[in-house]
Amino acid sequence: MTFGSGIHVGIDLGTSNSAIALFDGESVSVVANAAGETLTPSVVRIDGRGGRTVGRRAHRALDGDPANTRAEWKRLMGTAERLPFAAAGAALLPEELSAAVIASLLADVRDAAGFTPRAAVISTPALFELPQNHATARAGRLAGLEEVVLIQEPIASAIAAGWRADQEKDRKDTWLVFDLGGGTLDVSLLETDDGRLRVVDHAGDNFLGGKDIDGALVEWAAGALARRGGGDLRADRATARGRRMLARLRAACEQAKIELSRAERASIVVPDAEGDGQPDAGELEITRGDLEALTEPFIARSLAAVRVLLAKNQRGADDVARVVLVGGPTLMPGLRARVGELFGGRIAAGVDPMTIVARGAALYAGSVGLDATPAARAPAPAAGLPVRIEHPSVTADLEPFVVGRCLPGAGQTLPERVRIEREGDDGGWAGADAALSPEGSFVLQVRLERSRRNRFAVRAFDRGGAEVALATGAFAIVHGVSIGDPPLARAIGIARADDTTRVYFAKGTPLPARRTFAHHTVRPIAARSDDDALAVPIVQGESMRAHRNRLIGMLQLRGVERDLPAGSRIEVTLEIDRSGQLATRADVPGTGQTFQDVAFVLVPTASVETAERELGATNRRAAEVQRRTFQLGIPAAVQAIADVSAVLADADRALPAARAGDADAAQKLHRLLMDANNALDDAEALLEWPDLDAEARRCKLTYTPMVAQWGTPAEQQLYEQELEAAGAARQRNDAADLELHLDAMRALGRAAYCRDPHSMADAIDWAAAHVTEAMDVAAAASLLDRARALQAQNPFADGAGGGLRALRAIVAEIWELFPSSPELQARSFDSGIR
Amino acid sequence: MTDADDVENLMRERLANPFLVLAVAPSASAAEIERQGQRLLAELAAGLDGARRYETPLGMRERTSELVRSAIAELRDPARRLGHEWWARGLAAAVAV
Repeated sequence: MTFGSGIHVGIDLGTSNSAIALFDGESVSVVANAAGETLTPSVVRIDGRGGRTVGRRAHRALDGDPANTRAEWKRLMGTAERLPFAAAGAALLPEELSAAVIASLLADVRDAAGFTPRAAVISTPALFELPQNHATARAGRLAGLEEVVLIQEPIASAIAAGWRADQEKDRKDTWLVFDLGGGTLDVSLLETDDGRLRVVDHAGDNFLGGKDIDGALVEWAAGALARRGGGDLRADRATARGRRMLARLRAACEQAKIELSRAERASIVVPDAEGDGQPDAGELEITRGDLEALTEPFIARSLAAVRVLLAKNQRGADDVARVVLVGGPTLMPGLRARVGELFGGRIAAGVDPMTIVARGAALYAGSVGLDATPAARAPAPAAGLPVRIEHPSVTADLEPFVVGRCLPGAGQTLPERVRIEREGDDGGWAGADAALSPEGSFVLQVRLERSRRNRFAVRAFDRGGAEVALATGAFAIVHGVSIGDPPLARAIGIARADDTTRVYFAKGTPLPARRTFAHHTVRPIAARSDDDALAVPIVQGESMRAHRNRLIGMLQLRGVERDLPAGSRIEVTLEIDRSGQLATRADVPGTGQTFQDVAFVLVPTASVETAERELGATNRRAAEVQRRTFQLGIPAAVQAIADVSAVLADADRALPAARAGDADAAQKLHRLLMDANNALDDAEALLEWPDLDAEARRCKLTYTPMVAQWGTPAEQQLYEQELEAAGAARQRNDAADLELHLDAMRALGRAAYCRDPHSMADAIDWAAAHVTEAMDVAAAASLLDRARALQAQNPFADGAGGGLRALRAIVAEIWELFPSSPELQARSFDSGIR
Repeated sequence: MTDADDVENLMRERLANPFLVLAVAPSASAAEIERQGQRLLAELAAGLDGARRYETPLGMRERTSELVRSAIAELRDPARRLGHEWWARGLAAAVAV
C-alpha cells in the first residue's frame, strides 16, 4: 500500500470519446494522444488486411467507410452482439472493440510517460449491471492490463470536482453530478461531510445521451433537405451510398452542434464526396434557437430524472450546494441555462466536462493504492529488515493510524522501538514512537498537514539505541477527500426454490464484498451424473420475489461424488471484487466437494420477433395492472405506472429500426421493455400490499406466543426487535423491508416451534399423511419410522433432553424432503436450493 | 425445515452489526468511526492477530476486511446508522436477558 513513487491511471471509456489521466500523488494530468488531443474518439476501423485504426483517424472513416468502422458500441457492452467489419470478414464483441480503444490509450501513456500501465481504474455508467461491468473489466484485461478496478462515472466526476475542495471548511454539502454522455444520462446526489465523500443515491436513463440529440438533429436536417427537393436521405438507408450520405449528414450535424455552443448560428454542409456526378446534398443554416427547440424534449426528460432523484431523497433544488456538469452535451448553452435555472446558477466552475471522469478515475486509483508502474509488479529487493507498513493512501483524517509489522528473516532480530517522522517537517509535529509488540507489530498515529502529500520516514532502534536498517523506510499519505469503496448499484442474491430471494449484498454494499449463507437442497442429486444438476441462480435486483429480479449467473452443482439426499446443507459464498467480477462457490459438507464454475448470463439480446411479442404482452399486462390499480385505488401504484405508457411508446418507436437490423435499437427495445416490466412489478408489489399486511398480522399472531414460550432468551430479544422493525416497515409501507423482517420472524418462530413437543407430534402426523408427496419417499418413510420409534420412548420425559433433541433433528430432516411448489420453483429460475 | 440454519443465517446478519464489527459505541462520532475502521483495515492487512476476531453478545466472530469496509460504509449513511444503533442496543440487551 505504499504511495511514494507510484503513478495512478484512470480511464474514461466513453460512448463517443475516451480519455486517460495520470495522478502522481500531487497533481492529475490528462494524457494527449499522438494527434495532441486529450480526447480519443471511441471509434475502431478494421481494413481488408485486418489492420486496425483507433481514434481520430478511424472517426474520419466513419462516413466514408461505415461498413468497416464502428462507433457507439458502449450500450451493447455485456451482450453477445458481434459487430461486423465487412472487408476483414471479422466480427468483434463490444468488449473487444473497447479493448482496442484502451490499448490505444495505454500506448499514448507509453509514448508520453515512458511506461505501459499495468493497472488502471476504468469508469462505467452508474446504471451498468454486473454483466456490463464484467465486460468492461474484460476489455481492460484484453488490452493488457493486469489489474482493473471499476468506478462509477458520477463518483469519478465528484472526486475530481471535490478533490481538495472544502476541506478547510469542515462542512456538510450536497452535490449533484449531472452527467450527460454520448449514450447515457447519470444523475447522482453526493454528500461531502468533513472531507468524506458519500454517494447518497443516483438515477438516470440508459438511453438518453448526445446520440439521441444528434439523431433528432439529423432527422430535422434530412427533413429540411427533403422539403427543399433535394431528395430524402432517410429513404435511401438501404443503399451503401445512402448510408454514406446519412453518415456525412450526421457528422455535419455534430459539427454544427459544437459550433452552436459558441455561435448563434451555424451551417450544416453535406458535400457530395462520391465523385459520381450527383449533386451536393446541400447546405442548411441552423440557429441556436432551432437546436434548443429540437433538444427541448431531451432536456425536459433529463431534468425530470433530476427532480425524481431529489424528491426520492427528500431534497429540493435549494439543498444542492453545487452542480457538476459532465459530458459533451452539457456544453450546449441551452442545457446549461436550464440546469442553471433549476439550481439558481450554482454550477461548479473550472471543471472540464470532457476529461473530469478520467481525472476522477486516476484520483480514485491513487486512493486505492493502484500503482500502474511496472515497478509495482516486482519491487526491487532492498537490504535491511523487511517491514510491512499499512496506512490509508488518501484520507480526510488529520491523525490517521499507521500499522506496521516487522518480518525478520534468518539471522535478523526484532528491533525494540520504531519511530515515524514526517519529512520536511517545520517542527509542527515531533513524530511518534512506540515499542514493538511481541509479534513485531506497532500501531502509531501520525499527524498530516492539510491538503498535501505527507511523506514519512520509519526508523527502528535496537535495545542499545542503535538504528536498525529497514528494507522499507518511507511512505506517503495524501490529505484529501476520503472516498468510500464503490457501492454496488443493485442488490445481489440467490433465488430460492420458494421464489424468495436470499439477499447477499444489499444495494450500496461497498466493494469488494464477500458473504456466506447456509442453504439446503430441495431434491436429491444423483452421484456422478453429468445430467443431474442442481441450479443455484444468482440474481440482481431489489425484490424479495426472486422472479422479479434479473438472472445474472448460474452455478450448477453437477457430478457429486455420492448421492446427495434432499435437504443436504450447502454453504454458498458470493464474492465481488472492485472490478465487478463475481465469484461464487458452493461447499457441500456432506461430500466435501466445492463447486465454483459460474455461467454468467449475458445481457439478453432477444430476437426482434421475440421483443415484438414481448411488447404486445407487456402492453396487455400494463392494461391489466392499470385496471387493478384504479380498481383498488392505491396512489403509490398509480405513481409507479405513471411512466409506463411513455416507455412503451418509446419501445414502439424503436421497433422499426430494430426490425431493419439496427442492433442498438434492438437492445434499446429490450431495455425499454425491461424498464416497463420493472415498473409494472413495482406496481404489482404495491397492489399486493394488503396481502402482505395481512401476512404480517398472521406472523405476529402465530409466532409471538411460540417464541415467548419456546425461544431462547437471545431469540426472544431478537424476535422483539424484528417485530418492532416489521411494525416500522408496515408504517412506512416498505414492502421489501417488511418481507425481510417477516422472513426473520418466521425463522425464529419456526425454531421455537420445533422445540414444542406437541408441535413436533403434529409435524410427524402431517408428514405421515403426506409422505407420498416427499421428494424421496423411501427416505421420508425411513425417517418417519425412526421418529415414531423415538416418540414411543416418550422423549418428553427425558430429563436431559437428549431424546427430544434427536427427535427434533429427525423432524427437521423430514421437512427438508417436502418440495416447494413446482410453479414457485419454475418462477425462481428452477432454483434447487432454499 | 431448516430452522437452525435460518437462525444461524439471521445471526450472521445481525451479529455483523457495524458497531460490533468496529468495536465502537453507538454514540461514536463519524470521525471516530472512520479512524477506527481505517485502523482495523490496516491491522488486518498487516496480519495482526488481535484484529481477526470481534466480540459480540453471543460470542466471538471472525472479522474480515470486507466486514470492516462494509461497516464503515453503512455508518456513513445517517439513515442506515440509525437502524444499526437500534440493533446494537438491542443486541446488548439480549445478553442482559
